[in-house]
Amino acid sequence: MAVTQAGSRRVLAWDVVGLVARLGLAAVWLLSGFDKASDPRETIVAVRSYELLPESLVSTVAATLPYLEISLGVLLVLGFATRLAAALSAVLLLVFIGGVISAAARGLSIDCGCFGGGGPVRPGESTTYTLEILRDVGFLALAGYLIWRPDTPLSVDRFVRLRAESAAGTTEEETVD
Amino acid sequence: MAQGSSGRKPTGPRNKGSSGGNSSKAVASKPTASKPKGGKQQSISRKSVAQARTSNTNNRTQLIIGAVAIVVIAAIIIIGIVMNQKATAVQNAGYGASTKSVATEAGGVVTVSNPTAAGASPKVIDLYEDALCPVCAGFEEQFGQQINQAVDEGKLTVDVHMLTFLDPRSFSQTYSTRAAAALLCVAQEDGSQAGTYLGFHSALFASGTQPTEGGTSDLSDQQLADLATSKGASDAAAQCITSGQNVAAATAADKSSTATLSAATGGQVGTPTVVQNGKPVDIQPPDWLTTLLAQR
Repeated sequence: MAVTQAGSRRVLAWDVVGLVARLGLAAVWLLSGFDKASDPRETIVAVRSYELLPESLVSTVAATLPYLEISLGVLLVLGFATRLAAALSAVLLLVFIGGVISAAARGLSIDCGCFGGGGPVRPGESTTYTLEILRDVGFLALAGYLIWRPDTPLSVDRFVRLRAESAAGTTEEETVD
Repeated sequence: MAQGSSGRKPTGPRNKGSSGGNSSKAVASKPTASKPKGGKQQSISRKSVAQARTSNTNNRTQLIIGAVAIVVIAAIIIIGIVMNQKATAVQNAGYGASTKSVATEAGGVVTVSNPTAAGASPKVIDLYEDALCPVCAGFEEQFGQQINQAVDEGKLTVDVHMLTFLDPRSFSQTYSTRAAAALLCVAQEDGSQAGTYLGFHSALFASGTQPTEGGTSDLSDQQLADLATSKGASDAAAQCITSGQNVAAATAADKSSTATLSAATGGQVGTPTVVQNGKPVDIQPPDWLTTLLAQR
């Protein structure tokens, strides 16, 4: 009895961690995505300022990126295909981290444009690469957790799984009988 | 093994015919002999079949969910790109340069209008820009032709405020101020010449001409003068630009315009900003100017 209670308590704790990770990462994507989408001119400048892409690709990436972020946010809010969304999030975050590191390494003086805005830092401001990288690594940890344990409460994924299991349970009984 | 041999036994006689009571005995004996073991095995295999079926269903469900997720991502991105295209579409594309606007300078602020247009009671906006600001270049690209047309038709008067806060981000550390000074020169010397001021103004923001922030070069005064000349400015204007005659005026204008902009926005100074009647105008909607012009 005590073991079961401890066990269910542990499951509950994991559930809370999973839910927080999922909704946290979803909030990150939705906030940054909507910020970027709301100012397309500035987003173009932000993407261009990394000086990593040829000019022909800058506007395409600037047009796509906000909505990729929003779509990942939507999937994570719903808990739909959580593992896939978390994996794509991790890839995107690694790209961002790489971009910021490369900007820092080349001595560019830019704002990461992570939550909209971006472009060169304003005079009097300083770059905050270390902080930006640390923050992205934190987000990457959330994504990593969700890749590891994508099954979280209040998610479409769990709903589908529970339904499939109860359906499978019924058929098994029928077969045995 | 035991089940296998006992299973084979009955098949032999059965194949031979229906004669043997022997065969029926063998069949009857089979269940009793192997019941416990066979039953257990069967239940195990049933269970694993059910499990396999569940995991098959799971795999299929996962595949479907993954596919739907990818479709959702693609759909959101496509909708986004369409929205983005609408939001960044060049307004009044094809109108080109202003042909009827004149410019007058007062206190470092250049007023662009067409006072000769019939029935003109133009809307007045304050436009704050920095010559080095890349978002301003995007703004000029998207709305420049629409502004040109509205001014030419006498529907719009633009008070151009050139700020210089991006100076430290320019290669020469002085580009924003020198470009602002050059614009003042053209307004003073050639303001009455239709389209010249706006032509030079647009040229400064053209891609390929506008220097990049933190770049390795920008335009010298001589290059600014040459650019102005190519847009129809007089020798007097070119002389004014190369002599740096208006640099102090541009710096003073930056100070006073920064103050008015800051007062309008409640402290925020960014470019490009459009102010109408002392209030900032939201220039994100691609139809902001159309809306503004349609006001009563």
